[in-house]
Amino acid sequence: MKKNLRWKIILVVVVIGLCLYLSYPPGEKIHLGLDLKGGMHLVLQVLTDDAINIETDQAILRLQEQLKKEEINFENITKGRLGEIILTSFDQEKEGQLRKIIDEYFRDWDSSFSGNKVTLKIKPGVATYLREQSVRQALETLRNRIDELGLTEPTIQRQGIAGDRIIVELPGVDNPERVKEIIKTTALLEWRLVIAGPAPDKETLLQKYGGELPPDLEILPGDPKRTQGGYYLVQRVSPVVGKDLRNARRSIDEWNNPAVAFTLSPDAGKRFYKFTSDHIGEPLAVVLDGKVQQVATIEDRIRDSGIIRGRFTQEEAEDIALVLRAGPLPATIKYLEERTIGPSLGADSIRKGLRATIIALLLVMGFMIFYYRVSGINAVVALILNIIILMGALSYFKATLTLPGIAGIILTIGMAVDANVLIFERIREELATGKNVLSAVSSGFSRAFRTILDANITTIIAAIFLFQFGTGAVKGFAVTLIIGITASMFTAVFVSRIIFDVYLGKKKKIKKLSI
Amino acid sequence: MQIFKNPNFDFMKFKFFAFGLSAIIILVGLLNMTIGKGINYGIDFAGGTLIRVIFKNPVPIDTIRSLLNSQGLGKSRIQEVGATQQEYIIRTLQLTGEDIQDELEAHEIIGNKVVDTLRPSEDKTNLEAGLLDLNSIDVQDLTELLPPELENRENIAQQIIDYRRVKGIIKSFEDLSTSLNLPPEALTALKEKTFLGNLAILSRETVGPQVGHDLRRKATQATIWALIGMLIYIGLRFKFAYGISAILTLAHDVLVTVGIFSLTNRELNLPVIAAILTIVGYSLNDTIVIFDRIRDNLRILRKDPLVKIINTSINQTLSRTIITSGTTLLTVIALFLFGGEVINDFAFTMIIGVLAGTYSSIYQSCAYLYFWNTIFKPKKGLRK
Repeated sequence: MKKNLRWKIILVVVVIGLCLYLSYPPGEKIHLGLDLKGGMHLVLQVLTDDAINIETDQAILRLQEQLKKEEINFENITKGRLGEIILTSFDQEKEGQLRKIIDEYFRDWDSSFSGNKVTLKIKPGVATYLREQSVRQALETLRNRIDELGLTEPTIQRQGIAGDRIIVELPGVDNPERVKEIIKTTALLEWRLVIAGPAPDKETLLQKYGGELPPDLEILPGDPKRTQGGYYLVQRVSPVVGKDLRNARRSIDEWNNPAVAFTLSPDAGKRFYKFTSDHIGEPLAVVLDGKVQQVATIEDRIRDSGIIRGRFTQEEAEDIALVLRAGPLPATIKYLEERTIGPSLGADSIRKGLRATIIALLLVMGFMIFYYRVSGINAVVALILNIIILMGALSYFKATLTLPGIAGIILTIGMAVDANVLIFERIREELATGKNVLSAVSSGFSRAFRTILDANITTIIAAIFLFQFGTGAVKGFAVTLIIGITASMFTAVFVSRIIFDVYLGKKKKIKKLSI
Repeated sequence: MQIFKNPNFDFMKFKFFAFGLSAIIILVGLLNMTIGKGINYGIDFAGGTLIRVIFKNPVPIDTIRSLLNSQGLGKSRIQEVGATQQEYIIRTLQLTGEDIQDELEAHEIIGNKVVDTLRPSEDKTNLEAGLLDLNSIDVQDLTELLPPELENRENIAQQIIDYRRVKGIIKSFEDLSTSLNLPPEALTALKEKTFLGNLAILSRETVGPQVGHDLRRKATQATIWALIGMLIYIGLRFKFAYGISAILTLAHDVLVTVGIFSLTNRELNLPVIAAILTIVGYSLNDTIVIFDRIRDNLRILRKDPLVKIINTSINQTLSRTIITSGTTLLTVIALFLFGGEVINDFAFTMIIGVLAGTYSSIYQSCAYLYFWNTIFKPKKGLRK
């Protein structure tokens, strides 16, 4: 045996050994996709416009405050298009002061004066930053919430680099509806002083104000599940907000009904203490995501802990505490896509996929041996090694095996023998021209190689584009196809050649090749 | 063994016949897609809800249809899985809501309505009586419900869930108890606190319209870019004429496959697009092998006319073309017959694609090459 050949054999044995080691036992090493093991796949969109709107609202409040301080009269402040504030009919004699306010307090805004009207527009860079921040924060919050749920192996990813989409994959979810609710809740908790209410409609509340809503007040609906419904007139500002929460947990009130207990940060505790001291005897509303949950009279000063009652069920109290702990979402979240695959369907897919793979494998192997006789065995060995390498590579790259991925493996079986077929057909041609076996094999391999390379590279090009475009399951197909075809170049060209060399090397003067 | 012993067919003779045949297939397909019934978009592209359910006892498809009809859900598409009358895939009717924001939620509501309609009143009574459905319960609840005296109740609960996973739905307490050898107290507890729901949801998928819109754009882009990528590769490795001929062949394969696909009742979903892109790669594979041989033969058989060289090349590679297509076809047929419902459309598309790809490599690609050469007369011919 030539020295060169021995090293090649060692290389092949090492590669195969490594792949077997990497992929054994396959049940543990191969990472299955959601379509095979069951679970939930969600695509969410963060409505980043919300972040701009919140910023605009805050800017309006700031502007009102400053105008009041500088005693600049004006008619109205309104929101224009997204990220736009319009101040109308201001006292033009004080334009200088107004400009100073804008220069000093509204650096993130572009202003344009025309007569007694000012339009403030949020700077594009700032808007982009706010959007980006809100997606990042949403990602962080979702991570916290899902961690709290205690699911195994969740993946939460942002789609694209600049995208506002988030993909959540949760294997083995038992109760999809609950999970969806927990993810979607904004969980913005506020406390607002109640001026009037509840009233059956908004008009009743505004009668006292001549139908016009004062700028520092707001009308909020009561959560129909927790209150009698209707509307409340409340103050616009909240002394503390959700992010001041230090902790929240499920608890019970004095009548043993489920409730949510909260603890505030020390700083917010001080603010809340002062606020409640100033307003003893007044009604205070607990507002979650813009809906009034509960209204109670402030009976005593509250420092940094308290409970929220709201006719919760056990599970609702648990879930609200969970989302409060994880923090509020900076913007509304919308579902774009949701797929739940039950575990039994996944198991069924694995069974059928495996069955199809084995049948395909047997058919192709049977054909190769039938058609190419002894040389066919060579192709069969190459094919088996190909699948071992494919499994090893899947484990090593921690690629996800999906049902289309199994289809990719099956297809690889069909296509991998192509290289062998090309080589064998070439060898037959060479033999037909009267060459002896050794040189026919040798030139068959070398002449077929270029063709194999060209043909396989084009398939890989298609698969790469498929990988680029595909989502989840389809990506799995592209991955197995790419790995399978690459591996076939190694097994069908390199390994098959070794097998021929060993076989022909033993029988020094071979006259006939079984092909 | 050999299929062809020194084949010598005059493939180029049939070029006009082949053009005609392909033109007819493509034309019929295009007409069907544009003014005919159009492409039947699946939920991946059109949005909607797809629910896969399994019944404990066989329910004929007509019963399901009339049940859904009675609730105004008559437009739903119902597809039976297997022949047991137990498993069905239901796609709810498409919505053309004005407000895209809420469309996903609307799909959800309709999906819930479908499930609610199919669930027999017996199950609802049981649920109201406070019993839990053993066919949808999760492991934790099941564990808690088993008597605490049982030492290995976590294990038993897990075994029951695993049993359900394999069977899809639990048919009777007796079957369950005998196959798992359940202790009598566990069985009593189960019978007391649970019931066997008649219906289990195997999967449920809802896709909003925005996703489908994006996907359509991305699928088109991916296909076009893949074609351009190949044009460049072949242009570099061979000559521009080969690249153009190959791309025309690929476009032919895609059009034929999509056209024939549109004539079936199948829905166009993501895996089908994956199949089409694979065809793009696969068909090229065949074409390149023949082009490679033409390039070789142009050097070896310098004096022969182009048509003869092309014919020789096709004949020389004929065995290989047929064998590889044959093995690939064997595998996709195995997938089609045994791979299950989920992957069936993919396998079907692959079968059409492989057949179209093989046919076009032999009858179309070389003819394009020939015409390019006759019309544009490149300086060095087709040699590089």
